[in-house]
Amino acid sequence: MAESYPFSWLCGLLQLGDTFYPTGSYAHSFGLEGLVAENVVRDRESLRQFLLISVLPALRQSELPLVVQAWRAFEPPDWDKIGELCVLSSALKSAREARFAAENIGRQRVELAAKLRGHPLAVEFLRRAEAERWPVSPAIAAALEARVLGAPLEAALASVYYAAIAGLLAAAMKLLRLGQNGCQTLLTEMMELAPAVFVTAQNVPTDEIGWFNPWLDIAAARHETAAARLFIS
Amino acid sequence: MTSFSGHLSLRAEARENGQTVLVAQSFRAPFHLSKPYWDGHALLVQVVNPTAGILAGDRLESAVAVGSGAAVLLTSPSASRVFQMTEGEAECRQQFTVDGGGWLEFMPEPLVLHRGSRYRQRTEIDVGAGGELFFADLLMPGRIARGETWAWDKLRLELTLRVGGELILRERLDQSGPELKALASLAGAGEGACFANLVMISPRLKEPSGWHETIVALHGDGVWVGLSQLRGDCGGWSLKLIAPDNLGLRKTLKRIREILTGSLPRLACDPRKL
Repeated sequence: MAESYPFSWLCGLLQLGDTFYPTGSYAHSFGLEGLVAENVVRDRESLRQFLLISVLPALRQSELPLVVQAWRAFEPPDWDKIGELCVLSSALKSAREARFAAENIGRQRVELAAKLRGHPLAVEFLRRAEAERWPVSPAIAAALEARVLGAPLEAALASVYYAAIAGLLAAAMKLLRLGQNGCQTLLTEMMELAPAVFVTAQNVPTDEIGWFNPWLDIAAARHETAAARLFIS
Repeated sequence: MTSFSGHLSLRAEARENGQTVLVAQSFRAPFHLSKPYWDGHALLVQVVNPTAGILAGDRLESAVAVGSGAAVLLTSPSASRVFQMTEGEAECRQQFTVDGGGWLEFMPEPLVLHRGSRYRQRTEIDVGAGGELFFADLLMPGRIARGETWAWDKLRLELTLRVGGELILRERLDQSGPELKALASLAGAGEGACFANLVMISPRLKEPSGWHETIVALHGDGVWVGLSQLRGDCGGWSLKLIAPDNLGLRKTLKRIREILTGSLPRLACDPRKL
């Protein structure tokens, strides 16, 4: 009965997206702290610009296409393709700290998926990832979680998109003079742009995945040796 | 207007006396090759484009291979200009292969995109285990002296790097001029901001030592320097630079080559010798 309910995956997805879920992502700013240190992001308006001209393109051309390709590769499992996507997701990050942060979060998510749900797909992925030493990014983990829950691709994309924007805004509240309402209006604006981002992301072929902002990459690299910092990345 | 379908193919090998020679070379316009020069550190090879620059429809393909024990510095004498296009785009595919024990430095003059140009550059690099690489890609915002900056239509710079067959780095800079200008403006960079993307691979760089701190300390006074270790245990590093102008970029690059010469002695080869 429960399995026949068309949105039975929704509760599971809400659990995965909750800050209560122990992924460790709250401890990361994903390069934002580096940009704040360089005075690039300094107030609500510069944060808004950063979201529009850097975060959204990176989601559209990099993170979300990885979710799309992995979600498709997980059913039926094409393990060669999944392994290729795991390595690609790691190779797309030139800054070591950002790469380690992503891989720690991704691995934690996959281990939880295998432990909490015992789903054979998650268990088999974890076994292969350990045997083949695949790096696991949050994008690959999100695709796996969606397959484990039976969630459609659009839901997986929405989950990753929301988590990325909300995570940055939560970090921004600690780094900038920014109130709850200021954050929520930005979050709302970015959510309104989501459908167009999802449509483009679904049509990015594997060999065209990738996008980078040189200033963000430099800030992320410099964060590794910063004398004082609040976040791990 | 005639479009070019040019190719360049080079293979460098080490002789018994330790010097490097080109054992195979083939090129077709717009590529031309200067006479190579061995300076005791590396074989300095200049690739010359005798035409005005890159036009719509041009297809440029190059393949450069460096054998074990060989050392090559590949450079160019002048900037690569990509001209305005009413339709179509230009494409450059470049493939570099460095065998284990080989050394390749790729240090061309910068790419300058004119208003309304569209350009795609696909770079594939395969370094064998124990091979060494110092790769630089330089980008200027346009014809600064004319006040024409960030005015190209489309630019895609794609880089795929494998070491010992393992994918280490995939980068895609995919920006229109106005899009990159918006990022530059957000970062407080001026109209003349120049960008260099460097990748270094060497077993001698596995452990960061004094050179790491010295390079990181170059950041400041409008120059952005980001140095970080690439994936894999191959001594791979990404080094990104942004300077307020071309002069600042050149000065920083020169300093970085000097700093690294202690660890990578082949960098003592002067790219401007010819």
